[in-house]
Amino acid sequence: MRLFLTCCLLLLSACSREPLYHSQSYVFGTLVDISIYGEDQQRAQALSDHVFKDFQKLHDRLHAWQPNSELSRLNQSFAAGTEPVVIDDALASMIEEATAWSVRSGGRFNPAIGHLIQQWGFQRDEFTPVAIDDAAIGKLVAAKPQMTDIVIQGQQVYSKNPAVKLDLGGYAKGYALDRAADYLRSEGVRHALVNIGGNIIALGKHGEHAWRVGIQHPRKPGPIATLDLEDGWAIGTSGDYQRYFEQDGKRYCHLIDPATGYPADQTQSVTILVPPSDNNGVVSDVASKPIFLAAPAERVDASKRMGIDHVMLIDATGRILVSVDMAKKLRWVEQDVIAQPLL
Amino acid sequence: MSSRNPFSNQRPLWGDWLVLACALIVVAFTFYRFWQNETAGKLVIRQGDRVFASYSLDQDRTLDIHGPLGNSRVEIAHGKVRFSSAPCTNQYCVHHGWLSKVGQVAICLPNQVSLELIGAKRPYDSLNY
Amino acid sequence: MKISTTVEDHRIAKLTAIAIGLHLIESIVPSPLPGVKPGIANIITLYVLYRYGLGTAAWVSMLRIFAASLLLGQFLSPTFFLSLGGGVFSLGALWVGYQLPRQWFGPISLSVLSAFAHIAGQLLIVWLWLIPHTGISYLIPVFASAALLFGIINGLIAARLLQQPPSTT
Repeated sequence: MRLFLTCCLLLLSACSREPLYHSQSYVFGTLVDISIYGEDQQRAQALSDHVFKDFQKLHDRLHAWQPNSELSRLNQSFAAGTEPVVIDDALASMIEEATAWSVRSGGRFNPAIGHLIQQWGFQRDEFTPVAIDDAAIGKLVAAKPQMTDIVIQGQQVYSKNPAVKLDLGGYAKGYALDRAADYLRSEGVRHALVNIGGNIIALGKHGEHAWRVGIQHPRKPGPIATLDLEDGWAIGTSGDYQRYFEQDGKRYCHLIDPATGYPADQTQSVTILVPPSDNNGVVSDVASKPIFLAAPAERVDASKRMGIDHVMLIDATGRILVSVDMAKKLRWVEQDVIAQPLL
Repeated sequence: MSSRNPFSNQRPLWGDWLVLACALIVVAFTFYRFWQNETAGKLVIRQGDRVFASYSLDQDRTLDIHGPLGNSRVEIAHGKVRFSSAPCTNQYCVHHGWLSKVGQVAICLPNQVSLELIGAKRPYDSLNY
Repeated sequence: MKISTTVEDHRIAKLTAIAIGLHLIESIVPSPLPGVKPGIANIITLYVLYRYGLGTAAWVSMLRIFAASLLLGQFLSPTFFLSLGGGVFSLGALWVGYQLPRQWFGPISLSVLSAFAHIAGQLLIVWLWLIPHTGISYLIPVFASAALLFGIINGLIAARLLQQPPSTT
């Protein structure tokens, strides 16, 4: 009886004040939310405010279409010619890391195609339909902007190809995630969950259980599945549903295939899970794009190239394809889900 | 016909108590099943970095939430909620239609307004969208 | 023309008349929530079941539902079908309850069983026919609680009535 009463009391106290702090804000043009578990509320608030401020600073630096951002000034000098400009170590290492992933992806992940993205109207806060100019798109593809065109020498950087325009939209959120995780760990935070517009990293647990993440259904308002994101793991989703416009009944999403210059239309969403490493936030961001863009027969190869074992892909027809490792992690929200193996 | 009335005792019998106990369990179960989990009890509306308001889905109402682009209109009716109009171009949030179950979410990124249905227990900590 | 009637017919007619009266009274008493009703007409069904058997009880129950709906102008309306569905289900429950050993299970058991069956039948009709996708599941605990409460009360009243000697009509 005494044991029973103790249990009840414990349960009650657990209900009344769970040490969970949650806050959200809009940064990087998307929704960012931070949960911190097991810290004093005031401290948790101060920590997440710091992270939000850091994200905002990073966003301002890397803004792809505000003419005064550091990245825009760099792009202006790339376009002007091969006169080198000075950048700081942080930006240089970001460009180097993004270049390495671009090479590894066989060019499917290519942050150098800023001009193409602008052509499609995705370098704006709002996605209104654009007139599709096939000739202009063809020209931008033929100019072959590559990350390897960028030359970094010490603190100086220039581009061998004036068609290069950096848009780190597929990298910055992952980078920010790694920074946030590093910062929170350095502050001694043991349990936290940081979500930047569909890229999430987990530290520790939510109390007794692992952090639980819902994966958005690409065509319904709610999760298609949930999974436990263990300590140190990251998850990333690329989808055609938040950033897109529709014209003549066709959907044009923000994920543009550098090889063709046109938005990918074989896929609704790709979700990947990345085991702990010191840069798995970046991996969760960059590695989903090549899988999204790959032709159906090349999806498995694309994920292998990026070193990804946990993949869920929903194709243009709504078919759900899941890798064996991913299938073990997923809990479907609806009972009648038919998932096929992605082999 | 009336020799001895078998129901002369109006007090509950042994089996009656059993039936009552079972019925009580059924009632308790319905509360657990329908009031704890599935059906959404509460709607949380967020604008920007703050919670705009939270409402029960039982009372019908229409709300205007002001965001960077203008007013998003949110309609609560018959235990469901939706964006009935929004100032964004792609209207993704409006196309979601009605939400009624715990865990359902509609987010309007351009106007920075989100709707989330929560119950006694959150089915997940964060949504990967 | 003369229709020959039996004692049984007269009995059914008289008991049905009482049940209709109770049904009508209930229909004008305001209810906090549509569907939550004491179901006092069921007291008569229970009484008839114990006194005259299941057949008579079924007659009284069905006649009452048809006649009351005609009187209230609800015949073939959703209200009527809800009533009918509830009535059929609750008769089914009474049939099951009637098979239970009499020395252990009294009118209270049967009343509670039939109250639950009544609401289950109504919900099934709402579910299948009227409003398939609905927040009505949210109200199920309320309906179930009401079924339990009124099932007990009606059962106690029926048990009290059954203590009195049967009338000699």
